[in-house]
Amino acid sequence: MAQDSRRHGYAKWSLAGVLVVVFAMVASPALALEENVYRQFMGIDSRRLIWFLAQMHLFFGAFVLGVPLFAVIIEVVGWNNKDPKFDKLAYEFTSLLSVAYATTAALGGLLAFALFTLYPTFMGYMAGIFKDIMFLYALLFFGETFALYMYYYGWNWLKGGGLFSTQAQWFFKALSLIVAACGLAFLLGFIGPEMRVDTKWFILLLYILPLAIGFWIIRDRKSSHIFIGILLNIFGTAIMQLANSWAGFMMSPTGVDGDGAFVGTVWNAFENILATPIAIHRMLGNLAFGGLVAGAYAAVKFIGAKTPEEKAHYDWMGYISNFVAIAALIPLPFAGYYLGREVYSTSAVMGNNMMGGDFSWTFIIQAMLVGSLFVISNYYLWSGMTRIPGAQRYYKFIKYILLALIVSFAIWLTPHNLPLTSLEVGQMAGSQYHPVLKFLGLMPAKNAVVNLIILATFFSFLLYRRGNMVDAVSIRAQGKGAKFTIVIIGAAGIALVAQYAMTMLNMDPAELDLPADRAEYIRTIGYLLVFECVAGVIAIILALMDRGKLGQVLYLSVTAFNVTIFLGVYGFVVMEKASPVLRNVAVSQFLQLISCLVVVAVIDVFLFKRAKSLGEMQWGKMTVRSQYALLLLTFVITMNMGLMGFIRSGLRGDWHIFGVMRDTSEWAYTPSNFVMTQQVGGAVLLFMIGCAFMFWLGGIATKKTED
Amino acid sequence: MNATITRVFPFLLVVLGIYLWIGYSITELTGGGRRTSAAVDVSPEGGEAIYWGKGRCFTCHSVGGQGSAVRGPNHGQFGEKFPLPMGARAAERAKERSEKEGKDFTAVDYLVESLASPGAYVVNGYKNEMAVVYAPPISLSLKEIKAIVAYLMSLGGDLDMPAIDTTPAELTQAFYSKIAAAAEAGGGDPSAGAIVYEDNCSECHTLAEEGGEVGPALDGISAKGLKFISEAILQPTKIQTKGFETYVAVDKDGRQTIGLKTRDEGGEVDITKANGDVITIAKGDIKDIKIDDTKSVMPDDLSEAMTVKDYQDILSFLMLQKPKAAE
Repeated sequence: MAQDSRRHGYAKWSLAGVLVVVFAMVASPALALEENVYRQFMGIDSRRLIWFLAQMHLFFGAFVLGVPLFAVIIEVVGWNNKDPKFDKLAYEFTSLLSVAYATTAALGGLLAFALFTLYPTFMGYMAGIFKDIMFLYALLFFGETFALYMYYYGWNWLKGGGLFSTQAQWFFKALSLIVAACGLAFLLGFIGPEMRVDTKWFILLLYILPLAIGFWIIRDRKSSHIFIGILLNIFGTAIMQLANSWAGFMMSPTGVDGDGAFVGTVWNAFENILATPIAIHRMLGNLAFGGLVAGAYAAVKFIGAKTPEEKAHYDWMGYISNFVAIAALIPLPFAGYYLGREVYSTSAVMGNNMMGGDFSWTFIIQAMLVGSLFVISNYYLWSGMTRIPGAQRYYKFIKYILLALIVSFAIWLTPHNLPLTSLEVGQMAGSQYHPVLKFLGLMPAKNAVVNLIILATFFSFLLYRRGNMVDAVSIRAQGKGAKFTIVIIGAAGIALVAQYAMTMLNMDPAELDLPADRAEYIRTIGYLLVFECVAGVIAIILALMDRGKLGQVLYLSVTAFNVTIFLGVYGFVVMEKASPVLRNVAVSQFLQLISCLVVVAVIDVFLFKRAKSLGEMQWGKMTVRSQYALLLLTFVITMNMGLMGFIRSGLRGDWHIFGVMRDTSEWAYTPSNFVMTQQVGGAVLLFMIGCAFMFWLGGIATKKTED
Repeated sequence: MNATITRVFPFLLVVLGIYLWIGYSITELTGGGRRTSAAVDVSPEGGEAIYWGKGRCFTCHSVGGQGSAVRGPNHGQFGEKFPLPMGARAAERAKERSEKEGKDFTAVDYLVESLASPGAYVVNGYKNEMAVVYAPPISLSLKEIKAIVAYLMSLGGDLDMPAIDTTPAELTQAFYSKIAAAAEAGGGDPSAGAIVYEDNCSECHTLAEEGGEVGPALDGISAKGLKFISEAILQPTKIQTKGFETYVAVDKDGRQTIGLKTRDEGGEVDITKANGDVITIAKGDIKDIKIDDTKSVMPDDLSEAMTVKDYQDILSFLMLQKPKAAE
């Protein structure tokens, strides 16, 4: 029965794709020049109906795209370590997908019908421009569907068995090398159209590289199964990227003239300014979202578990899910910053509207939600330390981390100003800004505390993973592999910072519309980055000399000082004297932080590899309270996703396609934050009911398999 | 499982309740949804509707205690920094402007200038970052701009409707003409268009005696009309200016040289290619030379390279290049 339901779902995906193509075939871009036609269904506000359907489609779609990303990674871990526990976990995650996949398809079909019937002029125009992309989109559904079929149903079939013949293995390796060579040629610009740097790297890292790795690892049935999982992710990512290009085009159209007539190529329309920044943000968001929804599944199962074994399993599953979510959440603010910067570059009006107009207060709600995500994630990690023998040694640090998080959170939430009465303005000597708090509302303060929140979360993670380990292991004694890994990853991290240091040291202020005498503000960042590189090099040398802990402390301290204290304060100077440099400050903060986290984490892995243990992790010995924290994380990220969708879509104001096709319907206005919370809250409630159904059905499937 | 769900859902409802309460509280504090205004009259009331609606002025400005934006100057009486409301302040600013420019500015002139050329006289302490309100995405019409001026003048100033609408002074009229020209060109921003021009066109075209000579001079190009300019950018092969036709010269070895014929004297012909390279060919070596109206030296991929905004901006910039006699 469950299988029938799933097959039905796959058919719906294909149906949705075919529908899109049929509509695309009958559409023409010339419709942009006609008067907009709007229709209603049963008197319902069409805009709110579309909003609701799109939101529900995106919730389920994000889960369907997010889960395979880490399911395959977990499967690889199990395959590599020959640990069936991981394989079983990956299968359990995948079992959640089937119902979600069907629901996503059904909602996608409904959304397509609603869009084409209620907004025929607008959709005719879009379909006219994107008809080629829509064909490709529909074809990719087949790839996604078959890959998911094979991945899920072929799990047990593709287990076991011996190695493939040597010829077959070499054949796949040759394919891998061909793909890698194509990737290199693509990177160097020998093949493929001209494109933005971010689009190029997106394609290289998410399509070409995984495909090359996938071919390279094929040597038996299990690795072939992993390859299918990689294909599943490639198809899913491509579907998302194509659909994203439509959303991006609506915000930053390219290849059309002032009357809306399409004069460019399909590639111009596809690779519009915001398409890739949105895709990057959505990829990370999907990963965090998929992780947390899977975590909610584990939490619900844990709460209802009857045996210690069940509790242990779902506790572990919840931990892995939260780990995945945190890994995606850490770079997410930076991807958001990049997207925001590109929105400003596209249109200052849209940018102002985002941070200083209709959505400034919506962003305060967003800050509350994102801050909550980090605080609750940390709480979950601290709760997890209770199941680690010996972790009590680190409890004393928790209060300081909590303090750092709360102070950072408070600063992040502080607005630059608030609507004030005349009396209040009088009390502040005629200023509409608070004398002290006004500084906390500005970008330099916010950038500094975002970095501090991430550092604090990373510190919690370090304490957690060291909980039951004592006596660091000699890295020198671990052979060349350990040293090689540390040096290579360390060099890559430092190179990332160093290249930006060189950019800062050589940048002409004129590139930022600044006079020559403002060069010092750019150079200072360059020197700071050089200092950071030196600290990184010393940390690596210390690690190789078996003084890894000292190296970690040094590197973390220098980075914390640079990104939060120095650049936090210096950001205000830059803002006053050379404000365009502020974005370079933010980029330098991000690069230092990411580089430091990666290098310190790698050192930590080898520092405690096979270290003496104070006892085995006691999975299942976790408070029920912590499981509610896991659930709360899921609720918060879902609400936040809906809120961000409202902002992204609402930024266009009363334009269907920004600057090209105006929304002349009666619904062309920006709803209030209360309307937003009602609409998003309703969608979240329905999504959670859908998840409950999904978990129940997934539970039945798992039980049936176990039987 | 069922028991667990019944425990989890009340928890979810509590969380959603808090979410709704936050949304409700913030809406109470900041006001409801922003509705785009319908058609308005040239009046203070009409201008007020535009200010808080379609014009999006509230995104950067406040009026006294109304609104919370601080990016641009407050338009009401507010604290020590803004002792006068905008109407009265415009008269003061116009006096300062007159002294600096040596021209008579009225309060209306000052306000219209700040909308037509927002960077011309920026209030001290604020950045030159005001959006061009007659360009997309705001795209205010001239009538809507007049309504906003009326609204701002009504804030403590001497409201003179004929000076705003029917019988504007010379300066105001000049700014209105600029807005109308830009609006006709799809509402682009001429200042931004000048930058697009510099980046994309000046290498080949001359304007005010500056630039390259591969293409025709563009002084007074607005006289040819919007359609002509638009087609010349988007479909350069469709429009070829006399004297700037594209020639294809084929030599005896079959080699083609495509470009403008910039010299034809003695026994030689110069063909200037799109990149500015000049190829000299002896007439004796030429097998065939003719005008090819299917080719153009002008790049035919400009429409792909430019954003919509770039295109609208450059159109508005070129529409301001009036013939000398008409200036």
